Amino acid sequence: MRVIDRIVGSRLDPEIAHRLHHLDHRHAVDILAIDSADMARRRLRATTRGGEEIAIALPREETLFDGAVLILDADRAVVVRVGAERWLRLAPRDKIAALELGYHAGNLHWRVRFDGDDLLVALEGPPEDYLARLGDLVSGGRVTHGLDARNEAA
Amino acid sequence: MLKTAMTLTPSPARASAARIGIGGPVGSGKTALIERLIPVLAGRGVDLAIVTNDLVTKEDAERLRRSGLIDPARVSAVEAGACPHTVIREDPTLNIAAGDALEAAFPGLDLLIFESGGDNLASTFSLDLVDWWIFVIDVAGGDDIPRKRGPGVLRCDLLVVNKTDLAPHVGIDLPAMLSEATAVRGGKAMIATNARSGDGIDAVADAICRAVLFAP
Ligand SMILES: Nc1nc2c(ncn2[C@@H]2O[C@H](COP(=O)(O)OP(=O)(O)OP(=O)(O)O)[C@@H](O)[C@H]2O)c(=O)[nH]1
Ligand SMILES: [Mg+2]
Repeated sequence: MRVIDRIVGSRLDPEIAHRLHHLDHRHAVDILAIDSADMARRRLRATTRGGEEIAIALPREETLFDGAVLILDADRAVVVRVGAERWLRLAPRDKIAALELGYHAGNLHWRVRFDGDDLLVALEGPPEDYLARLGDLVSGGRVTHGLDARNEAA
Repeated sequence: MLKTAMTLTPSPARASAARIGIGGPVGSGKTALIERLIPVLAGRGVDLAIVTNDLVTKEDAERLRRSGLIDPARVSAVEAGACPHTVIREDPTLNIAAGDALEAAFPGLDLLIFESGGDNLASTFSLDLVDWWIFVIDVAGGDDIPRKRGPGVLRCDLLVVNKTDLAPHVGIDLPAMLSEATAVRGGKAMIATNARSGDGIDAVADAICRAVLFAP
């Protein structure tokens, strides 16, 4: 198993992009898809789309990112692609519901973003687990919900 | 250096030691698990050090230092204050610093183990602090623990259900508790242990070596 202990660079770096472009013509660019929840790990094992199992062991000051180039050999490359992060969209019916929702989200240490009148919660598990925590806010219809997929890098 | 990692890594590794977390409710057996893991991991050639977290004392660090299982200088203590989860999740600076100090003192370290202070079922580790983490619950805590779907139980990389020896004494149907735990975790890894007798400890060591030290 190949152990990756450094990131070669970004696929957006002009010189790297140039080399990737040539390798891509030869179908020699392999993708390592990583779940957004796993991106902060310095060490993990993962399998590329091409089926190669690799081990990542980065120094603590480095982290993975979308487009990180892990291998750039003369005959092949491996590039990280972040899995789309899933967000639970929560829409409070009124100000009172919004206050209550905000209280719960903070109390539960959820990772959130704001989008207009809605609260987006980053999902690290099934949405039901999150909805259950909101109890009658959700079951009573004072907060409605839906799923959002968006790329971390976007 | 870990033997397997050496044979797998052609160039000298630039990466620092792997860091894992062990969390779980008060008294579930986190320190007992570490006491059992030390000789097993040492026997596999893993060079390790430990950071313990206690509320306001250094009780667990002192216990490990006195245990005779490990060089006392390889055990470091962080006092967590009132909120044990804060120092492993929101602001792990103290723990990161303790880990860095151990790595500087012991070059060639393969593994750093962070024991969290006993907390509730909601405690989780920041991936800035650790690469992979275990959550330890115990049979005597009740077979309804998995059903309570605490974030610690759901999100950990490995769930350890300890004190299996106590099941008959506390009226717990162990197989039912284990299958429920597997179900709430969507099939993610779980190991039942008895830190008294050592049952299941080898399997925990296997999981650690596989996940972060890249043993086959
Ligand atoms: N019967 C039995 N007792 C155990 C087992 N594992 C731990 N214990 C006992 O449970 C008690 C608590 O164990 P610890 O290892 O101190 O638990 P801990 O999770 O480190 O506790 P805190 O750090 O205080 O949260 C001790 O008296 C242990 O001897 C086990 O598998 N079976
Ligand atoms: Mg302890």
